[in-house]
Amino acid sequence: MIGAGIKRGTAELAVLSVLQDGPLHGYELARRIEQQTNGALRFTLAALYPMLYRMEQQRWIRGSWEISANGRKRRCYRLTPAGKKKLSPLQREWAELFRALQRLTKVAHA
Amino acid sequence: MPDWQELVRRRLLGLAVDSTWQEEVHSELAAHLEEAFEAFRSDGLSDHEAVQRTLALSGDWRDLQRKIDSAGNGKDTMTNRVKQLWLPGLLTFTLSMVSMELAQKLGPAPHILSLDKGTPVLMFYTAWLYVLPLAGAIGAYLAKRAGGSLRMVLLSSIFPVLPFAVVFMVAIPVGLAIGHALMPVVYLTMAIGWVFAPGVALLAGGLLVKLVSSRVSTSR
Repeated sequence: MIGAGIKRGTAELAVLSVLQDGPLHGYELARRIEQQTNGALRFTLAALYPMLYRMEQQRWIRGSWEISANGRKRRCYRLTPAGKKKLSPLQREWAELFRALQRLTKVAHA
Repeated sequence: MPDWQELVRRRLLGLAVDSTWQEEVHSELAAHLEEAFEAFRSDGLSDHEAVQRTLALSGDWRDLQRKIDSAGNGKDTMTNRVKQLWLPGLLTFTLSMVSMELAQKLGPAPHILSLDKGTPVLMFYTAWLYVLPLAGAIGAYLAKRAGGSLRMVLLSSIFPVLPFAVVFMVAIPVGLAIGHALMPVVYLTMAIGWVFAPGVALLAGGLLVKLVSSRVSTSR
């Protein structure tokens, strides 16, 4: 499992990345992230929703109530143009960080 | 199956965000828990096990409440400040300026009072002063309707005189510092004409709205 500090930093990136594929409601969003990270990133309600509300305030995502296929009312989140703009530099920064860590660990092992 | 909506409502009792958003948060979290519960059930878990696993997904409810309060208040401060102060205040300001213009052009001649041997003088557009309570009342009503506190309601009603009040608060000490003999009298005269008299008229309208709304809520 990944530690809480790293998770906080990656959570926004994970949400923005998953929403790139299309709008999702909270439960489905958490499930997709968990599946795609093989369970490394798991969100409790206390972690997920305050973050979604904050990201909505920052206008990176937009939530709206929709009726799902089974007739239930769900709040769906979609990526906004500002969110798309935010995602690219975030992806670059994290990719750079991972490359740096890889280089570091290789040196350490050598 | 538990009533998830009721469970969320009980666990987040005292959430300090506006009631509309509070309802949305309850519905959204309840929907999340309901889906999780159904997913656990379809994985073959018993009702009891599914409920336990679903509740484990919640995390610390107090932490959740604190974080939602914090996120919600950030959001509310922005929108509420606009709805409860800036919009009603600017409308009161506009009404006040338009009525002043109309009073000068179409109303009766101003009432002139001499404080000391004719100089300086106080000019009261009485028609304007009669209209100001209405402008103050409209501002106060809009602020109240947007859920504004007493402070916001009263500030919205006296909003038009606030810029002048600030100017005088800066100008009087500067004038005194310069030491001009006439300064204090001149500034006092102008302050009465531009701040105190219209301020009292506007505040009268605001207080009337406050009084009426308090009576209405008490009778309910």
